Amino acid sequence: MPPAPAGEISQLGIIGVILLLLLFYGGTMWMSVAISRKKENADDYMTAGNKIGFGVSAASMTATWIWASSMYASVTAGYTYGVSGPIHYGLWGALMILFIYPFGKRIRQVAPKAHTLAEVMYARHGRSSQLMLAGSNVLGSVISLTSNFIAGGAIIAMLSPLNFGAGILIIAAGVLLYTLWSGFRASVLTDFAQVLAMLGAAVIIIPAVFFVVGGPSMFADGVAAGHVTPQQESFFSSDAFMNQGAPYIAAVLAYAIGNQTIAQRLFAVREDLIKPTFITATIGYGATVIGIGMIGVMALYLGIEPAGGDVNNLLPQMVGTYLPVVLVALAFIMIIGSLSSTADSDLSALSSIVMTDIYGQSVGRKNANPKLMILIGRITMIVATAAALFFATARFNILDLLVFVGALWGCLVFPVIASFYWKKITNKAFTVSVLAALIVFLPVRFTLIPLTGPWALLVEALAILGVGVVLGIMAFGFFGLRPALVVGAIATVAVLPFGFGYLRDFETLSGSLVAYSVSFLVCYLMSFRSTQEFDFSVINKITGDFDEEAGVADPIETTDGRPPASEAAAPTGR
Amino acid sequence: MTALLTVYLLTWPVLVLGILITIARGFLKDVKEARKEGRPII
Repeated sequence: MPPAPAGEISQLGIIGVILLLLLFYGGTMWMSVAISRKKENADDYMTAGNKIGFGVSAASMTATWIWASSMYASVTAGYTYGVSGPIHYGLWGALMILFIYPFGKRIRQVAPKAHTLAEVMYARHGRSSQLMLAGSNVLGSVISLTSNFIAGGAIIAMLSPLNFGAGILIIAAGVLLYTLWSGFRASVLTDFAQVLAMLGAAVIIIPAVFFVVGGPSMFADGVAAGHVTPQQESFFSSDAFMNQGAPYIAAVLAYAIGNQTIAQRLFAVREDLIKPTFITATIGYGATVIGIGMIGVMALYLGIEPAGGDVNNLLPQMVGTYLPVVLVALAFIMIIGSLSSTADSDLSALSSIVMTDIYGQSVGRKNANPKLMILIGRITMIVATAAALFFATARFNILDLLVFVGALWGCLVFPVIASFYWKKITNKAFTVSVLAALIVFLPVRFTLIPLTGPWALLVEALAILGVGVVLGIMAFGFFGLRPALVVGAIATVAVLPFGFGYLRDFETLSGSLVAYSVSFLVCYLMSFRSTQEFDFSVINKITGDFDEEAGVADPIETTDGRPPASEAAAPTGR
Repeated sequence: MTALLTVYLLTWPVLVLGILITIARGFLKDVKEARKEGRPII
């Protein structure tokens, strides 16, 4: 028999939590020290030499994309929308990784040694396009960092006597300490250990909760008790699709383009390993996040009320209520691992943007001082951590803000992607199209103008076109231009019959779609008569290494304490 | 329906285990290659 749903949540106690945090951050710190160099290389600090292997890069992409908020949100989706809820959260989040890799291969082709996507935009268009993209990247990473600190503070406060303030300080200090010296290299290597902890915990915790709460009989009991509605029982819930799935489908490309943590891994992984890395991370993220979401589905069938009325408490509440303390500790490590792996990636992303886009490209690649560059990167990490701590204590709804920024990134998708393929796009077309999309997006998203009459019809027409643009771009990545045009046209025509009079009720979705369509229309109309014939080989000349000195490994770096083979084989003269 | 929901729920941890093994094997291969070439893994 499972314990009563209103049972006490297992506490790990102050000693337990501190020991677990020491184990976790002590382990990551040890890994970081093991790969550290007295003199770090500026390019390696940002992209680790552009030749990371499959295991490390797949682990890193998976760990970075799984963050504490994705676990909480998937559980919330399962609890709110039933069996299809986690699918409509996790699947589309996973596809963000999948759909970027074809474009990633193209980006690596034109800029094999770049550090940030904004840097490539600088080479393609100039300063205004670069700063627009870099600015949106910074905004997204600071919000993500803040969200991870909040999640860490909340879980520590829930499972121990420590308060929220102490929790966020511990998390911030832990992440900053192991990331500060070696930057992206430390972030990527520790991601491997963190992904083992996260995925390993998920494999154990999901079935453990399932069997402890009663196993298969829980489903029949939940239906009999009236805990679930027909929509929540359905695998094809329209509620789940329209409220959870559709806005996320619209955001698939936006998050991928707007997030420097993905771009950084695209530039870091060995070029021939981009596809297997991103496909593995897609499945890894999807399975883990959807699987964790099943805990929300179980809470729904069991008729559990979230602690304090806050659905974000459901994950620790379910684990703490039903599982023994050893598995609660495992879940704690899983959540700390998920937020730390994303937070260290955000710090690395922010430092590389400031190092490359603010400092590096402003003084010119040949004039950049690598030593000063690394110092700027480290200062950026410290400032970003302080800023995120400040925002975390403000306690505003950070996830709502992130969803808003995600939609905002929709304005950038077509101009950014098309710039890598179409020679005619100018800096003016890029800038004007993004700003125009922003001007239309904001009143739609926040209903600043009531969605009625001709305005509503115009917005719906643009949103319908937006569906075609989104699906067309997705198809273009995999199949090329002609199939993309066919997919885009069919999608637009398919939505026409029911789009009018219907989409106006979904302002979040319509706002996202309008951002895509307006930026597409303006960018296309300003470019198709352009006489510019951009030479893509220019990008490779402008982007590239800042630090001519190769990142020389210290002897300890072969991971087993032996000197590198080349050094061991060299004659010593003795 | 109960059987379907049970399979649906338990599919995910099995899938996660598969990815975990894939990543771990990839990492061991990375370490092996790095040692062979006498360079750090990262």
